[in-house]
Amino acid sequence: MSVVPEDRELESLIELSRQSRAKLERLHEVLTTPGHYGAGATPARVVYRENKLRLLRLVDSAGEPRNGPPVLFIPAPVSRYFILDLLPGRSFAGHVAAAGFDVYIADFGVPTREDRFCDLAYYVDGLIRRSVRTIRRTSGASEVGIVGYCLGGTLALLYSALYPETVARLALLTTTVDGDVEGGISWIAHRMGLEGESYERPRLVPAIEVKSWFEMLAPGSNSVLGRVADLWDRLDDSPERLRAVRTMASWVDDVVPAPGRLLAEMYRQFGPGRNGLMNGEATVGGRGVDLDNVTMPVLSVSAARDTISPPEGVDAIQSIVPQAEIVRLRGGHVGIVAGRAAAGLWPRVVEFLGDENAAEPCADG
Amino acid sequence: MADEDPNTEPTLVERWLEEQREWQKTTLAYLDSMVRNEEFLTHLGNAMRGSLLAGKPYPTPVPPAASAPESDSADRLDQILFALRELQGQVADLRMTLDELIAKQDGQDGKEQQDP
Repeated sequence: MSVVPEDRELESLIELSRQSRAKLERLHEVLTTPGHYGAGATPARVVYRENKLRLLRLVDSAGEPRNGPPVLFIPAPVSRYFILDLLPGRSFAGHVAAAGFDVYIADFGVPTREDRFCDLAYYVDGLIRRSVRTIRRTSGASEVGIVGYCLGGTLALLYSALYPETVARLALLTTTVDGDVEGGISWIAHRMGLEGESYERPRLVPAIEVKSWFEMLAPGSNSVLGRVADLWDRLDDSPERLRAVRTMASWVDDVVPAPGRLLAEMYRQFGPGRNGLMNGEATVGGRGVDLDNVTMPVLSVSAARDTISPPEGVDAIQSIVPQAEIVRLRGGHVGIVAGRAAAGLWPRVVEFLGDENAAEPCADG
Repeated sequence: MADEDPNTEPTLVERWLEEQREWQKTTLAYLDSMVRNEEFLTHLGNAMRGSLLAGKPYPTPVPPAASAPESDSADRLDQILFALRELQGQVADLRMTLDELIAKQDGQDGKEQQDP
């Protein structure tokens, strides 16, 4: 039977209507289904609290902690911790815990107004040092493995240089050490005026401003029309896939305000043109940080398509911590810890944390 | 008059009308969720900005005054609050040290009792 043009138009209109309706029904289903948004996926106990910090200890399905060596995960204090414990089956920390390690995660929480005075010393010599102290006490181990992600890696490196006797192994993930390598979030922040951030009279830098720096690295991501178009395209995915996307989107879009003093101090010490880590001029609370003290085995992982921490700025650690093992994985800044590229990272970190024969401490350290 | 064949495919007009009925159901589902679930409007608002952020509204620009340096009195109050936070940490350190000393002492006492 031949179809007259009017019928063909109506036919395609019905099909278009059906497809659009199916997308909206899928969106409705996703928006009304509870999920792991803003919280970790693995069962955990809070073993220490201070200010907004919660030190989480992951437990098994019976509510018991693991017996293996303790490992502390330190996320970046300008984002939510749960990227390290995203979803069941997609949790980096959960994967390490399942390998038998006694895993802890530092959840720095969401800073409020008075936290704008937090500086490097507050994090490194305060929150992280007392977290490690708590872990040593609860686990009975004298040394703790540390995994630092992004800016959390910078804090972990500084801590390890100040208190090396408490650190068994140090894994740094997408942690920039060479601030002179062009590109990445520090250069964007530099261009957006971080230089003008006051150390003496700091602001609580609004989340939207921190987010705008990240959006500058992904052109188009700050356009509402572009984002809506992306979401509309995504609505063809299955609800299950969309829920996973939603968890990730909730992390990406849920940037927290940042303590202005911390940003100002990190910029002044490690930013473009300063480069205090590479120059051996880093300080914490006025105390010099000697990276020669970092004598424990170190693994530094960069991501080949990382626009936030350019891989060259990450891999440069080898010139200041010579025993550091350098690994560059395919993928981006977030993808290597929680995306498809994570399959390359997680087993490598488990192997490193459990490897008794990893690079021995420097003899002259 | 012949009976209508149940296997006959619906006409285009019938399919169009059926599609309109389905749209009504979809619309009603959204309206129902808006009424029943307070958070749904937040989620929907985020989706209309192209974000699947859950649990809170998509971050929006704050008025310049909100991120400007604080007034002297507010600034001082925040500094006091922050000093209290630092004090909280020092007290925690002290408590941990005491616990360690007590544990050490208990360990020594236990050892002395075991030793002849």
